[in-house]
Amino acid sequence: MAIQTGRKQRTSRNAGTSPKRKPAGKRTPSSRKKAPGRFATELVGRVGELKLNYTKLDQRTVISHSYFTTPWKLLPPIYLDDTGAAYTLLVNPSGGLVGGDHLSIDMTVEQGAHVLISAPSANRVYRTEGPVSDQHVVIAVEPNAILEWFPEHTIPFAGSRFRQSLRATVGPGATLFLWDALASGRIAREERWAFTDLENEILITTANGNSLLERYVLDPATDLGTVGLAEEWDYVASFYVVNDALAAEVWTGLESTIAALLDTKPGAVLGGVSTPPVPGLAVKLLARTAPDLLAMMEALWAAAREAVLKLPPISLRKY
Amino acid sequence: MNTPALLEGLRFVDTFFPSGGYAFSSGLEAAVQGGAVKTSDQLTKYVEDLLRGGMSRREVLAVKQANRAASKGSLESAVHIDRVLEATKLGRESRMASRQMGKQVIRVAADQIRAKSILNEYRDEVEADRAPGHLAVTFGLTMGSCGWSPEETAGAFLYQTAVGFISSAMRLSPIGQHEGQRILGEWLPLIERISREVDLDTAMSSWSPIQDIYAMRHGSLEWRLFRS
Repeated sequence: MAIQTGRKQRTSRNAGTSPKRKPAGKRTPSSRKKAPGRFATELVGRVGELKLNYTKLDQRTVISHSYFTTPWKLLPPIYLDDTGAAYTLLVNPSGGLVGGDHLSIDMTVEQGAHVLISAPSANRVYRTEGPVSDQHVVIAVEPNAILEWFPEHTIPFAGSRFRQSLRATVGPGATLFLWDALASGRIAREERWAFTDLENEILITTANGNSLLERYVLDPATDLGTVGLAEEWDYVASFYVVNDALAAEVWTGLESTIAALLDTKPGAVLGGVSTPPVPGLAVKLLARTAPDLLAMMEALWAAAREAVLKLPPISLRKY
Repeated sequence: MNTPALLEGLRFVDTFFPSGGYAFSSGLEAAVQGGAVKTSDQLTKYVEDLLRGGMSRREVLAVKQANRAASKGSLESAVHIDRVLEATKLGRESRMASRQMGKQVIRVAADQIRAKSILNEYRDEVEADRAPGHLAVTFGLTMGSCGWSPEETAGAFLYQTAVGFISSAMRLSPIGQHEGQRILGEWLPLIERISREVDLDTAMSSWSPIQDIYAMRHGSLEWRLFRS
């Protein structure tokens, strides 16, 4: 059942670089109107677009089109094994988002391609005096393609305002692994759940039009937006595995495996797994520490890879 | 609200109504077995947290929007709300429980409140699987058709939910009827506030990770009194 959430994407401007790469073929960067004769320098480095198009070429997945503007940087894909899967790090060397930043990612994984996405470090959101920091991601996973999306967690600093959306469409036979995690704040500074407000939305739509929607709005200053009982924990994460072509036994087996994994760290991790309204599994979990969170993410990812892709775990070589 | 409207709507709030709600604990059983809810104080906080963060901008919003759809006779709006709500129900048992109870409500309402064609039309949508038929939506449509306002309907929905939790807790823990009434009374100001504060034009959202997790874990409990 297709749904429209009614929230419009922000547009970005076209003042970027694309070293030795052509701008995306049919998809041209969006433009923002400026006053005549005035160059909007105040937007440089604050409105960042990243467009990536992955194609399967022979036995490898390659970036066939790319476009990015500051602060995004693009590194060539890394091939971690002999599957031909392209591993890309989402690099934002500015260190994080400040109020008024608008970052976007528009990614297409073409038919049969296989892509792994991560980031070199956590997504930090700095204190703001008012303007919101935005990040919007639009992903198309075309038929029989595979996307493994495992960014680092988001750290909302005290006084920060963050709005994030990720909207993915998953074609017939395609696979999406999607990990999303949030920290309570800069925990080492005893700064926990001290942001001003935070919105997060994940919308996954499959080929038959059915959707999965996770959206939360935390504005602790209001009666209905408090963090509540979850304040006792420092990390909240979701993990979605979606594919519309797998047999029911695969999901049943993986659900049992994940349920057992979630019980391996009692007191340190609390998690649950179930079947969402799209073909696949939904996992939600809370963790006390970053090592607990990371270990559980790796365990869940490994289990999903084995059950769905028939592939062994992979090391991202980040630590 | 006039007395005929009150009486017509009360039937759907009453525990005598055959929605099958007594069979579901909305994850409370898993929370009790998991040790998260052992005392009446913990029960109070657990349910308050769910009502405020998990249900206010999701189920309560859907109730109020469906109520408005009923007053406008807008079938399309009701189906849309139902589909968005379906998309947010990540746990199988919670989703199925909500759909089962919702289907019971719309069947009875469509059969017995014949002056409102939208109820018949919506029942047909649900029976044909063109709409999920979640309780919040069918309840909102029904009470709107009875003449209840969005805020009154939201209050009734939350009250019914709260009673369900008390009823479940009395079977899962040593909470007696007197204690149950005391807790229910404590929740009334929150219920009133949520019913009033939820903005009809806000986007649907939900934040109750602990309760969501226990609802997901219910399916793997070794022994169960409830179906969710």
